[in-house]
Amino acid sequence: MEERTEIPPGTLYMLILKTLLRVGPMHGYGIAQHIQQISKEVLQIEEGSLYPALQRMLIKGWVVGEWRQSENNRRARFYSLTPKGRKQLAAEIAEFEKVMAAITRVIQTA
Amino acid sequence: MDAFFRRLLYYFRRRQFEAELAEEMEHHAALSGQPKFGNVTLLKEDSRAMWTWPFWEQLGQDLRYALRTMANNKTFTALAALSLALGIGANTAIYSFMDSILLRSLPVQNPESLVMLNTRSQPRNASPSQAKGKQAKRESVMHSSMTTSGSSFNDPKTGFNAGVFPYPAFELFQKSDSIFSIVFAYYGTGPLNLSIKGQADVANGEYVSGDFFRGLGVPPAAGRLIAGDDDKAGAPAVAVVSYSFSQRRFGGAANAEGQSILINNVPFTVIGVAPPEFFGIDPAALPDYYLPMHANLLLQLGPILSANSYLDQNFYWIEIMARLRPGVSMEHAQATLAPQFHQWVLSTARNDGERADLPKLVIKEGAGGLDALRRQYSKPLYVLLTLVGLILAIACANIANLLLARATARQREMAVRLSMGAGRWRVIRQLLTESVLLASLGGALGILFAAWGIRVLTVLLANGRENFTLHAELNWHVLGVTIALSVLTGVLFGLAPAIQSTRVDVIPALKEARAGEQVRRSFLHVSLSQVLVVSQIAISLLMLVAAGLFVRTLSNLQKVDLGFNRENLLLFQLNARQAGHQDADIATFYSDLQKRFSGIPGVRSATLSRVPLVGGASMGTIITAGGEQQVGNLVLPVGPSFFTTMQIPMLLGREIEERDQPGSPVVAVVNELFAKAAFGDDNPIGRHINLVGPKRDIEIVGVSKTARYAELKSDNQPVVYIAYNQGAFGPVSQVAYELRTAGNPLNYVNSVREIVHQADARVPLSNVKTQAAQVDQAINQEIIFARLCTTFAILGLLIACVGLYGTMSYNVAKRTNEIGIRMALGAQRVGVIWMVLRQVFVLAMVGLAIGLPIALATSKFVESFLFGMKPDDPWAISVAVAVLVAAAVIAGYAPARRASKIDPRVALRHE
Repeated sequence: MEERTEIPPGTLYMLILKTLLRVGPMHGYGIAQHIQQISKEVLQIEEGSLYPALQRMLIKGWVVGEWRQSENNRRARFYSLTPKGRKQLAAEIAEFEKVMAAITRVIQTA
Repeated sequence: MDAFFRRLLYYFRRRQFEAELAEEMEHHAALSGQPKFGNVTLLKEDSRAMWTWPFWEQLGQDLRYALRTMANNKTFTALAALSLALGIGANTAIYSFMDSILLRSLPVQNPESLVMLNTRSQPRNASPSQAKGKQAKRESVMHSSMTTSGSSFNDPKTGFNAGVFPYPAFELFQKSDSIFSIVFAYYGTGPLNLSIKGQADVANGEYVSGDFFRGLGVPPAAGRLIAGDDDKAGAPAVAVVSYSFSQRRFGGAANAEGQSILINNVPFTVIGVAPPEFFGIDPAALPDYYLPMHANLLLQLGPILSANSYLDQNFYWIEIMARLRPGVSMEHAQATLAPQFHQWVLSTARNDGERADLPKLVIKEGAGGLDALRRQYSKPLYVLLTLVGLILAIACANIANLLLARATARQREMAVRLSMGAGRWRVIRQLLTESVLLASLGGALGILFAAWGIRVLTVLLANGRENFTLHAELNWHVLGVTIALSVLTGVLFGLAPAIQSTRVDVIPALKEARAGEQVRRSFLHVSLSQVLVVSQIAISLLMLVAAGLFVRTLSNLQKVDLGFNRENLLLFQLNARQAGHQDADIATFYSDLQKRFSGIPGVRSATLSRVPLVGGASMGTIITAGGEQQVGNLVLPVGPSFFTTMQIPMLLGREIEERDQPGSPVVAVVNELFAKAAFGDDNPIGRHINLVGPKRDIEIVGVSKTARYAELKSDNQPVVYIAYNQGAFGPVSQVAYELRTAGNPLNYVNSVREIVHQADARVPLSNVKTQAAQVDQAINQEIIFARLCTTFAILGLLIACVGLYGTMSYNVAKRTNEIGIRMALGAQRVGVIWMVLRQVFVLAMVGLAIGLPIALATSKFVESFLFGMKPDDPWAISVAVAVLVAAAVIAGYAPARRASKIDPRVALRHE
């Protein structure tokens, strides 16, 4: 078992939204893979949290799902951003940066 | 809003949604090349929870499942719900009574600003017989007093508390308008003759001062209420009637106004009707009518009361309430008025003896009205509340035990659920739902049980008394307490087993279906349930001891030798004076009736006396015999044939007979105690005694055996029975008749009524009952206590036995294997029975060892309820112990027998 780094709480939505903004419509596995690659294998997304998060985002209307053919010739749900999702992403990034800056200040004034 | 509709859509296309999720996850698994996909069920549950309103949905599921479980375990459910229902029901019923007696305020405006005025002085000697010898007669400014409501009582600790004042003191308080916004007075009329359109009845009313209704802030239901000008000497004779009286006698409040009623033969005009909920200021009474206080001058109440009474500073007779001005505290009122009253009362004292013990003013809360009822019932009710509280404790321990046993049995089910991906909280919630549902079922049944219990209790408390006015009902207060109780018990006994059963290690619990020797865990379980069973046994013992004490008290009281025959005796009372008869003709009227009653076929003999025997009322005066003053005597004026009718044996001489007429020599019969005390071994016949009060010389014509007079609980006292009609003991007004009958005395009531009606329709019969019922009423509290405590103790014991039975059965079931092996190795069936019973014994003994000291320590608190025994009565305690052990053995025998029936071959093949 390799060491996995938990993704910071509350950032999963932001990561998914950002991924969809960058790569366009993508299925769940693709989203997880993308985050893993970009983060250089540091961020591992478990299915157990990915799919519930996607469901929640569907309910909130940040993403919409569409069934399409995937690379292995099977049907898969492709998620894409809605305008509401874009707005949410901007808000989440702003919030995250604010918090990060604050945390950085705290650890640097050692 | 959008989210709402998306969620709603889910309900219609649930199957598709779930299929899509599953497909998506399969796709993921296929791409990642990892077939194992964590907890799929939990994932599904989670996503379903997101899409729906999970709380309500799961609640629905839980309820459905809980109902199904309950239906599958009917015995368990019935036992659990029933024991809870009994516990909750008994608590609710008793609490309802407490609520109506101890806690409820008068139904008037702002009851919290009402205060009641009392005085307190040195404690008085309780009874003359206790004051042996030539005791210094305590002198008091209360030269005479009169009280009908029980507001005056003696307390050895706080002193003599009096609720009555002289009228001039009332006028003094009326001037304190910086403290009181209004002051009003009242006192009970006692039973008066009340006649409407020729139909006579005996009814109780209340004399009230002009500000009574205004002071209480009570509006009329019809007409107007008594006001200032009505309460003056010489004012028109007016009356206010109670709402229920207006309905009973006039067919409605609207019809009552302007009607004429005769009270003691004096016409009064009804001016209005009091509101339906109003019962006066005494929760123990429900006056039928209210008269202005000064109307008592119209009723010719005899020498005690006259216009002079209103001026007499040493005659204590009226009760006073007042309303505090806003912002004035009770302490402030007390501090301001006590010195003023002291000053006034000092001016009424005539000598140093009176000045030495002046009554002190005490201002009490008035919101609850007069407190005689509270004093009488508060201690018994607290004892009963404790007992039902104990029942509830036993019931809860039982439920906890049953659930605990079941939780262990359901460990496998829990393990399956957890392994299938159920969240721990979800399982706990499910179990909690079950127990709360069970508690609600118990609570609902409990309310039914309580409603029934309240009715039974009311009947028990009234015990045939007319005008019993204490009506407890299930009000929202009581209901709230019950519901809180049932939910609390549900959560309490649901939570512990729920948490425990979800702490299962999934794997071993799954593997070990049943033989699982989780030694440590099951040891813990057994010991917890043993703790519960032991405490149930200890509590049961407490209740059994209490029941034993009260049953024995009752039987001691019932064994009290009355000295007369209580069976087949009819009692009733007549008052000819109140119906308008005058002195000269009253004796003739009564003696005429006596002859006519004796002539009723089936009546063996008839007699009369001033008061009935064992009715609580007694008369007395100072008697001198041979120039020496006798101590603690009672006097009972009786008619001819009294001793024959009551079957009190005559030891010497003759009884009072027909020939003892007004004008002939005044005669008396004395009882043995009196004869011994006054004359020693000399023959008292022909000796003379003197009554000091009425100053009459009386000849003794007979000596009777000593018989009970007023009370059952106190010692017999020396009694002088004098002829009632020779004027030796003041004018006669009310008398009690006693008829010795063949068969049920109540069968003769109609003939009696007819005879009285023919003689004078204005004279009503009152207090019609049998002598046996009269005696029962004297020990009513003890009867109720004995019955209730026995019932409660049996209930508690039954519930505890169910607990014991359940625990033992569970133990036996768990040890099936072990017992099978023992038997295969040659253990005898009897030995197996003993093995199980020994465990029962150990539990019972530990329970007894804990319960006995507690019972001994707490039984002191009920000492005042006991008669003829000590609180550590060995009989009551040994019976309690014997009953408990017997019950434990019976409860344990069935599981023991089942253990002995285990077939070793089956038991060993079992796993």
